[in-house]
Amino acid sequence: MNEEQLLQLQAWVDGELPEGEARRLQRQIETDPEARALVEELKMTKAFLAGNEPEYTVPDSREFYWSQVKREIDRQAAASAQPADSRPAWTLGWRRLLAPVAGLALIAFLTVLSLNIVERPKLDESLQHLVEVENLDEHVGSFSYRSQAENMFVVWLYNKDLEPAADEESDMEDDAVLQ
Amino acid sequence: MSSQPEIPKVPDEVLVRRAQDGDLVAFEELVARHRDKLFARAISMMRNEDEANDLSQEAWVKGWQRLKQFQGESSFSTWMTRIVINLCLDQIRKNKRQRAESIQQMEEDQGGVERHMPTVTVNPTEGLEKTELRARIDRALNQLSYEHRTVLVLHEFEDLEYKEVAKRMQCSIGTVMSRLFYARRRMASLMASYKREELS
Repeated sequence: MNEEQLLQLQAWVDGELPEGEARRLQRQIETDPEARALVEELKMTKAFLAGNEPEYTVPDSREFYWSQVKREIDRQAAASAQPADSRPAWTLGWRRLLAPVAGLALIAFLTVLSLNIVERPKLDESLQHLVEVENLDEHVGSFSYRSQAENMFVVWLYNKDLEPAADEESDMEDDAVLQ
Repeated sequence: MSSQPEIPKVPDEVLVRRAQDGDLVAFEELVARHRDKLFARAISMMRNEDEANDLSQEAWVKGWQRLKQFQGESSFSTWMTRIVINLCLDQIRKNKRQRAESIQQMEEDQGGVERHMPTVTVNPTEGLEKTELRARIDRALNQLSYEHRTVLVLHEFEDLEYKEVAKRMQCSIGTVMSRLFYARRRMASLMASYKREELS
């Protein structure tokens, strides 16, 4: 018998064949000893497996097992109830305090630069405006405007935490380049 | 809410309704009633107690989260068993990706050995106590490949039809039929060998 015939016999044992096909197989099983022996083995295996799945008992006590399930239920419930920003509340407080401080520090630094209070070596005119100031505070965003004719440089700082919608748009401006 | 001592007398259906309304005490009782069955099913599929314990606990967590979806079309126990089966199947797929298939397993999938095995004519389980029979089935399950064991568990223990097994195992009905055939043949052969061991 080829594999297809073997599988047909099994499908007959499992009652998975259409009625006409099942009748044809029935005749074959009655007349073919090899097919009959195989069918008997398949039926026997099916019979001793039925209702005899190995039994196991959870090794943990009822209380301990439930405590583990309950802890996970609570954890997942808390996780789904939390806002997108899951950092602890005290870090948010620090950020609110530090963001304006960092902004003020940046303004003071720019003021010093623009007033030329700090004596710098004389540079070529073209290089004078290539000073780069990097804003390392992830909570402060900035926009800058410079007019060479007016000898004016304006930097607008804002607290990113208060303007969440602007976060993605201002990614490019996180590093304020001041000339 | 009823007091704790009365809970064991309450039918599953009532506990499920209470749990669906958010009663964790009712759900805890359901867990206590059916946890062994889920654990045993996970072991049948995974053959590893730690993995089976983790997966059965995960199933209870998912069961709680999806409890509102349970409409009572099957028993609560069957519904939960299907959840643990799906988790086990996912885990088996992950494990399978992590390990290389052995040549022996490939041969088993193709029925390389089983096709030529002589038919077992004498029932090797005759006269066995239920406990001993289950112990031997357990031993034999250990010797099957993941594919053969899974198809056997889903078809013989979970009573799923070919097409349902195929859907869950994400393979064709033909593959299910082939795996089931060779799994059964190997199972018969192993049980016969245990019988011979006993007699020798």
